[in-house]
Order: sequence, then structure tokens, then C-alpha cells
Amino acid sequence: MLAIYKKELRQYFSSMIGFVFLAFFLVIIGIYTWAYNLSGGIGNFEETLGSISFLFVILIPILTMRIVAEENHQKTNQLLYTAPVSITKIILGKFFAVVSLFGIGILVICLYPLILNMYGTDVRLSLAYSSIIGFFLLGTACIAIGMFISSLTESQVIAAVGSFITLLLMYLLSNLTSLIPTDALTQCGLTAIIWLAIAAITYSLMHNPTVSVLLGVIGEAVIWILYFVKSSLYESLLNNILNVLAISTKFDDFSLGILNYDTIVYYLSFAFVFVFLTIQTIKKKRFS
Amino acid sequence: MIEVKDLVKRYGNHAAVDHLSFTVDTGKVVGFLGPNGAGKSTTMNMITGYIAPTEGTVLIDGIDMSQEPEKAKENIGYLPEIPPLYQDLRVREYLQFVAELKKLPKKERNLAVYNTMKETKTKDVSERLIRHLSKGYKQRVGLAAAMLGSPDILILDEPTVGLDPSQIIEIRELIRELSKSHTILLSSHIMQEISAVCDEIIIINKGKMIACDTPDNLTKAMMQSRGIHLVIRGERSKIKEALNKITEIGKVQYDETAEDGAIDMTVYTERDQDIREKIFYAMAEFDCPILEMHLLETSLEDAFLALTQKEGQ
Repeated sequence: MLAIYKKELRQYFSSMIGFVFLAFFLVIIGIYTWAYNLSGGIGNFEETLGSISFLFVILIPILTMRIVAEENHQKTNQLLYTAPVSITKIILGKFFAVVSLFGIGILVICLYPLILNMYGTDVRLSLAYSSIIGFFLLGTACIAIGMFISSLTESQVIAAVGSFITLLLMYLLSNLTSLIPTDALTQCGLTAIIWLAIAAITYSLMHNPTVSVLLGVIGEAVIWILYFVKSSLYESLLNNILNVLAISTKFDDFSLGILNYDTIVYYLSFAFVFVFLTIQTIKKKRFS
Repeated sequence: MIEVKDLVKRYGNHAAVDHLSFTVDTGKVVGFLGPNGAGKSTTMNMITGYIAPTEGTVLIDGIDMSQEPEKAKENIGYLPEIPPLYQDLRVREYLQFVAELKKLPKKERNLAVYNTMKETKTKDVSERLIRHLSKGYKQRVGLAAAMLGSPDILILDEPTVGLDPSQIIEIRELIRELSKSHTILLSSHIMQEISAVCDEIIIINKGKMIACDTPDNLTKAMMQSRGIHLVIRGERSKIKEALNKITEIGKVQYDETAEDGAIDMTVYTERDQDIREKIFYAMAEFDCPILEMHLLETSLEDAFLALTQKEGQ
């Protein structure tokens, strides 16, 4: 695992992506810090971070696009997967390497509140640092998503665009869901459509028509029976489900200075799920 | 020792490898021969645990690849068809990474990397970026990576493909050197190359094994004899009796029968003899009509082609 970790970091810095990422990251945050804190004269660093959580939508795809896709493309995965190391360790090594690179950027940012503190009186360090922790966790969750998408393809470009679109959707999700009517019928109809999509995805993964059709039919039956028995169940159900995926809205707590354990657990489990999915995707590819 | 039992790999309905079984004994050099798309790389990928077989088992020194993959992989060094090199690393960095990946103890790593670079003659390029190396050097760095950690078994997928003649000779020499201390499974689609270094040859086509013998025996069967392919209508015992009358016939090989009531076979004689007329009269005597008879081309390469193409039809 350590071998992979070191190799990844070395590659990030020999291929410039590492430097480009850090430069871009620090420039954007620097501009916002200047605008909000230095020029605007506000001592709240957490507000600065709160207003640039969109940064991940652009930056994380750059960081994660090559992580697995390039190995698939260059066939260097043949070296990794035939070495006496488990796939779990390989992926964890890669994941922690990206997180570390991102962590370097975060470490530099950790200096900013201190610098502000030297020149101002109303800089609340505890708030600033709790928001930095939240910022780091949000980034970690996004990295896991990016890595998962990178593992689905052989092309860095597709991986980058895919991650960009996914992260953008997640970022905009809370705005989008507020547009959906919350009455029971619409919500139930949409749930039914989504369930059909899930059945279709299981078919494309398993190639087993019986299972997929059964899954689809039973699921639809349950959805509609529940609707007729107790339609109140569906009121804003979908919105609640979708909002779980809106990872950037959870960051609002942090930018208000609340160090919320729920949110920490939420981000960590998000990262865990996507790292797990990455490992499973690679394991499944061996059989197809 | 590599044991492959009933290995199958299916992609959809197409079987890339179809019930393949063979054993590579410790210390042997075994060549894996077949035209492109015969399933050589797929088989090697399954032996090394890169892809999982649809059915069947692979045992490496008695360890099941699907049960204890990490333990089984420790004994294997693998050079895939395209050497798995990181273009943006230097040769030494790359080999050091491989050594660490293969869990060599920290103290031994530098020495092991130095020794393999010496053996594969890559010391001169150790500080060059892999991206800037020539094809021959890339192949050697790939081989060095496979050799690191001194695994007992080396699996080399077309190690000489794309190299110029002098490089081919060098790689071949290196393989011969390695064969003294390793079990080697090596693939190629060139007959001479394999017969030059291997103790045993396995010929596969369309995922199935069609021959497995020492190069000497294969060459004997292919070169020094002349094959005549026959399709004769009649009972097998009768035909056998008729053929027994012809003393020049060395070996008779019965093939799969395509027509009902007819028997497909190939008979081999010494190269300079022509027994077609004798066969005709012998069969006439026993009342077995000959439906088809033609001479087989018997150069080494042609024999190989005949073997593999006949299967394909």
C-alpha cells in the first residue's frame, strides 16, 4: 500500500498535475480571501470557504481523472493486479495519495486564519478551523466520487467530464429538488420512474432478465400499493432522499462554524462507500 | 510448477479459452504457441490472476489462484504483451517501486534492483525517463520488473515481439540464461523462436490445445515425415488392415470424421517416399473407396499453420 502511495505522489509531481492543482487551488482561495477578508475587512474565514465550495466541481476531476483510468489505458494495471497485493490495498494507497496531495493545499490554507489574526481582532480561530476541517472532509468525499468514476473508464477525458457532471449535479441538487412539486402523486410517479431505471441498471450489470423483471415489477407494485394505501408517505419523500446526495449543502453547517458530528460521519461514510464501489468495480472487471 | 485444469474464459457466447488443461513442471521452459487470437494472452492473464477464469482452476506450486491470490502471485513474475511501464517514471524509480510492490525487504531492495538491472543490461539507462526509451529497452525494463524478487516462475507473453533481429537474439539469450534457475512459460506465434529455447511446446488454437510435445518430437513429426491426408469410406478395421500392408507408413493419425461412414486420417511416411499409388491399390484391394487424398505441406511453419488452421475450419 505504501509503495502505491509513494508512486502516486511521485507521479503527481513528475507529471505537473500536482503542481497545477495546488497552484490553482491556492490562487482561487487566495483571491477569495483577499476579496472577503483583506479587502472586505471581514474576519470570518469560514464565510470565505463557504462561498467557494463550488471549487471542488472543477478541481477534483483534474485530480482524480487519471487515478485509475490511466492505469486501465496504459495496461499498467497488469503490474498492479498481478503483484502480491490485494486490490483493496492498491485502491486505498491511491486514494490516500490523492487525499494527501489535497491535504498539502489544506495545510497551506491553515496558515491564512493565523495571518488574518495578526492584523485583525475579530478573527475567531475555532470557527475558521472547524470550517477548514469541513472543507477537507467535503474534498475527501468528492475525491472518492472522482476515483470511482475514473475506475469506470479507460479514458482520462471521460473520467474528468463524468466526474465534473456528477459533482456539478450534486452541487446543484438542492436547488433542483426544490423545483420538484412535493405533492404525493408527482413524488410517487418520479419514484416509480427511478425504480424502473434501477431495474434497467441491474439488468445491464447482471444480464439476467428474470431477476431484473421481477425486481422491476415487484418494486413498482410496492410503490403503487403504498401510494393507494397511504399516500401521505410520499409527500416530499423524493426530495428528502435526493437531498442526502447533495453533499455541498451539508457544508453550510461548517461555514456557520458548527462542527457537526453527523456531517463528519456523513462525509466519511460517503468517501467509504465510493472507495468500496471502486474496489468492487475493479474486482468485477476481472470476471467480465 | 503451474497446473492448469479445465480452464475456460467466455466473453458473452464466445469462448476465448476452451477447457484448457496442462502442467508446467518445475525447472522446465515451456513454449506456448498459437496464431494471434488463439487465447495465449488470455490464458496467461488467468494464470497470473489478472483476470478471473469463467471455469477451471489455476494452481501455482499447489496454491489455488482464486483461493489465495496474494500468496500464489508471490511466486510469479509476469511480463505482459505490452510491458506495464509508467512512462513518467525513471527506470530506477520504476524498478524500485516494483521491488516495494513485491514486498522485498527494504534493505535488499537497492541490491535487488541493481542486480536485475545488471542482468538485463539496463544500468546505462537507469536515470532515463521510461517514455524516452527504445522498444528494446522497454522490453528489458519490463523483463527486469518481472524478474525482481526472484520468483520461481516467469511468465513471458511474446517477449520478442516488435524487436529488431539483434535484440531478439539478446532477449533469447537472456531467457536461456534465466531458464537455468526458473520455470518459464513463454508465448509466441513464431515456431522457430520457441523451438530454440523450450523444453516443451504447447500449441493452442481457438482456445483449445492441439498439440503438446517436445520440440524434437514435434519437429520429427512435422519435418522429417510427409503427411498424406485421406478420407476413405469403409470400416476402420478394414482400412487398418489395408494400411498395415504398406510397410513405408510410419504413423497413422485419425482425425475427426466429417462425413458419415467415412474416416478422416493423416498417414506419415519418410519425406522422400511417395506412397499414394500404393495406398490406392491397397484400398482397392480391400474395397474401400478413397474419397480424398492430398499431400500435406511439411515445412515447420506450414505444419504449424496446417495444425492451427485445420482446427479452425
